[in-house]
Amino acid sequence: MSKSGLPDLDFNLQYDETIENALDGIEKLLKARYTFSKRMIALLLLQDDEEIIKMAKLRESNFPRIFAIIQNTRSKYKDPMRYVITLQCHQQAQDVLSTVMTDRKQSTHLQSVLDRITIQPITGIPILLIVLYFGLYKFVGEFGAGTLVDLIEGKLFETHINPWVNQVVENLIPWHSLQTLLAFDYGIITLGLRYAVAIILPIVGTFFLAFSLLEDSGYLPRLALLVDRLFKKIGLNGRAVIPMTLGFGCDTMATLVSRTLETNRERVIATLLLALAIPCSAQLGVILGLLSARPLALAVWAGFVILVFLLVGYLAAQVIPGEKPAFYMELPPLRLPRIANILEKTLSRMQWYFLEIIPFFILASVLIWAGKITGIFDAFIHTSAPLMAALGLPPQAAEVFLFGFFRRDYGAAGLYDLQKLGALSGVQIVVAAVTLTLFVPCIAQFAIMIKERGWKTALAIAGFIFPFAFLCGIVLNFILTLLGVTL
Amino acid sequence: MGRKQKETKKPVKFLNKRSSVKNEPSQPFKQRKMKLVLVGTPNVGKSVLFNLLTGSYVTVSNYPGTTVEVTRGTAKYNQQTYEVIDTPGMYSLLPITEEERVTRTLLLQEKPDVVIHVVDAKNIERMLPLTLQLLEAGLPVILDVNMMDEAEAIGRKIDLDKLSSILEIPVVGTAAALNRGIEQLKRAVMEYVKKRVA
Repeated sequence: MSKSGLPDLDFNLQYDETIENALDGIEKLLKARYTFSKRMIALLLLQDDEEIIKMAKLRESNFPRIFAIIQNTRSKYKDPMRYVITLQCHQQAQDVLSTVMTDRKQSTHLQSVLDRITIQPITGIPILLIVLYFGLYKFVGEFGAGTLVDLIEGKLFETHINPWVNQVVENLIPWHSLQTLLAFDYGIITLGLRYAVAIILPIVGTFFLAFSLLEDSGYLPRLALLVDRLFKKIGLNGRAVIPMTLGFGCDTMATLVSRTLETNRERVIATLLLALAIPCSAQLGVILGLLSARPLALAVWAGFVILVFLLVGYLAAQVIPGEKPAFYMELPPLRLPRIANILEKTLSRMQWYFLEIIPFFILASVLIWAGKITGIFDAFIHTSAPLMAALGLPPQAAEVFLFGFFRRDYGAAGLYDLQKLGALSGVQIVVAAVTLTLFVPCIAQFAIMIKERGWKTALAIAGFIFPFAFLCGIVLNFILTLLGVTL
Repeated sequence: MGRKQKETKKPVKFLNKRSSVKNEPSQPFKQRKMKLVLVGTPNVGKSVLFNLLTGSYVTVSNYPGTTVEVTRGTAKYNQQTYEVIDTPGMYSLLPITEEERVTRTLLLQEKPDVVIHVVDAKNIERMLPLTLQLLEAGLPVILDVNMMDEAEAIGRKIDLDKLSSILEIPVVGTAAALNRGIEQLKRAVMEYVKKRVA
């Protein structure tokens, strides 16, 4: 056993003489004990590893002398040490491999063609549009939010479960206020559970299924390459395609995954854009369902939200300090996805989602019930009437935004109800849908934002989004009304 | 089997607690839980391997960076219990991203008994440098050359025995998605642990 308590390993990387001398010198000066070998600690010090330098500063009395060696060695190269050492390490790895590995030239033709057409903009963008049209619009929007929701919501809940629950509750519970907690318009079962099971679940389920398919096919990293240049303009890079796309499923999950981005700046920008302009699948599904009968309205909504996404991203990239990202990503091969893996993954994501939202739905129902009983709710709707008026919306729309506080999709589902009553015109629906899309993240997402980015950043983001969303709505309403558009 | 717990990244802080491990020889070898850490670049199959080794399920996908958190599970081979740890992907021991930092901190803190470096046979030229770094750090490495089936399909041949004798560490070829080579990998782990304790 060597001094570090680890087995001696005879294989040794050999760097050039200058580096080897520096390593020798540093190793001799290192007195503290480390989990890694002293040689590795010396190598990391030489490559300016912040963490290790901080640690050595604390623990090594000889640190000034070590630092002198580092400085001296660094001055002998025109490239950063990190680069020099990585290059030499790679070279030796190649030397080893050249003695053990042979490649037979064999071009997998189909593969390289597919690679090329998914990455090049001329063919890549149409492919992306096709994927979006079939994956998102047809499958999630029409099938999930349309067919499935109609089936579960319309057939199952409205005609069977809700009337039955209402009746049972009315018969069993003598107190009116308790009756309304469980059933009727805002009850835990008739509203909270109905939204969760009948509206949100089919939409999220179909989204996760589509996403898992794309994920396993290896398409996403190719999409990352495709959008890299555009994303660089908004302070992100191709890597951000993963959290951003996942955001269309669940922004909460996506905010968690934004951790994979390289710089803090990117993580902040991604968090902001996710909270602001990426509608989650539940919200998206409801909005697609709402607007699909009016293609023009859908186009206005999509165009406006994309514009806001790009504009805010661009401005954030100018304002938020920090280093600009580079792009590096492994390009996995395109694979034929395996059904079992996809189903398992979809189910585990749905399970995660369901366990996460049910408590919020119930909590939201209880809070709304309490708000109704105490009159706070009516007071809120009353006081926000001028704001609704500025948006060109009827006062009842305030309810929808109030719901949006608890869950974005919850609010969108409320909008769905309002539209079914025929209370809104085309312009009003678009304005409401835009404002609701941009509006604050749901409680769960906000909690994750605080956990991942810290209080200050999370509050700053929410503080920006809240007035900004309404401002956008007011501006859009103003423009549409001014132009006299009917959608 | 199948027990799993998630932990989020911890603030960077590592102390040397190697002595605590050294002070345990009085305990019979079979009773101490061995730590087995899976490391490697994103999208090489660490999570599939984790599932196969522990018999539990973590989400597996075909895009890099799925594992943002450290996942732990347990496995038992030959009456020896192992704590199996799946880590976020890392490209180099010199971290750039937060996920890489999580993994390095884990390697520094946890004093693994075995580190399985999982590489993609098709891209081994980009990944072997990390194997060399892990060796240089003095870590007890087993090299798992995964996705051998895909490498063979593109006409690549790798002499694993020769690689093993050059690097002087166990080298195992697997195709985890097809459940191939997993038994050999388990055997390599058991032999490695036995040899190191002896």
